[in-house]
Amino acid sequence: MSTNERIWEVFRQEDEGDPMVHAGNVNAPDEELAMHYAREFYGRRGESHRLWIVARDAVTELDDPDLLKPPFDRSHKKPGGYIIKHKLEAAKQRAASEAGE
Amino acid sequence: MTDLDAATRDALAELLLAVADDEFVIGFWDSEWTGIAPMLEEDVATSSIAQDEIGHARALYELLAEVTDDDADRIAYGREPDAYRHAALLNHRRGDWAFSVARRYLYETADAVRLATLARSSHEPLAQLAGKMRREETYHLLHAEAWLRRLADGPPDVRDRLADALRQLWTDAQQLFAPLGGEELLVTAGILPQPMAAMHAAWTARVRPAVEPIAGQLPDASPAADGRMARSDDFRWLHGEFTMVAAGDEATARW
Repeated sequence: MSTNERIWEVFRQEDEGDPMVHAGNVNAPDEELAMHYAREFYGRRGESHRLWIVARDAVTELDDPDLLKPPFDRSHKKPGGYIIKHKLEAAKQRAASEAGE
Repeated sequence: MTDLDAATRDALAELLLAVADDEFVIGFWDSEWTGIAPMLEEDVATSSIAQDEIGHARALYELLAEVTDDDADRIAYGREPDAYRHAALLNHRRGDWAFSVARRYLYETADAVRLATLARSSHEPLAQLAGKMRREETYHLLHAEAWLRRLADGPPDVRDRLADALRQLWTDAQQLFAPLGGEELLVTAGILPQPMAAMHAAWTARVRPAVEPIAGQLPDASPAADGRMARSDDFRWLHGEFTMVAAGDEATARW
């Protein structure tokens, strides 16, 4: 049995409309048994509304640090990368003085 | 239960006991795989299915206890081996994996026919319970079918083991539809919506075409009047295992 086992990643949804969350994985030789095992491991206590069972080798993986963690400063791509506190204060003061006119 | 005459009530008790003992004994046999199934995932699945079967047996024993004014635990654990009424199919010990798969397949297909019938029973508590059991047994059957196909499509030695097991179990599997003493009364009352013989015909029509390509031509075999009566040494051993705790002396037991 162990020669042709594959790993299947299992995602579960607790209720309709909830996000699919990674639950874990199971070993199984084929899709049919993967479904049974996913049900036993991640659904038998009534805790799941829906399961997605995906062969791990069907997943396209990206973990290249050059692409995901580029070496240069990327703070301008995050909201926190802008220091806007003083701009906000200036804008508030301007608005207050305009209202007072 | 007061609306049933004594003879019909006895017949209902006989029916409930037969189905309950089948579920109870196959549950205990398959629980013998816990820890040693072919892979971890299958270990969990098999154990969980075995547990489901014992759960079904418990519900049936409780129903029976209401009919006979008895106690479910006493019925389950308080009888001598010869008083059990499971079909001859369940007299065999666990065997190898192919043997257990062959037995589960024969059992689950028969159980599906039986539950479809009992879900239409005029005895309302039985109809309701059968309906609930069917929802779980659907999955059990899918699991058994997946393994049957898998072993049938496996290497020659695997296929041979499966074929041997199917041939060895075929006659005893018929006994799941062994006639009951009070069967006519049950059919008349609608408690059993169709006779065992009709269920047997439906099961055979489905199962023969599925297993003969694997096992070769199987002999003509019919349910026998004593198909639920004979008890094997294998079963006497299992009985000793599953009654061990109930029979133990609480005063001296150490946990």
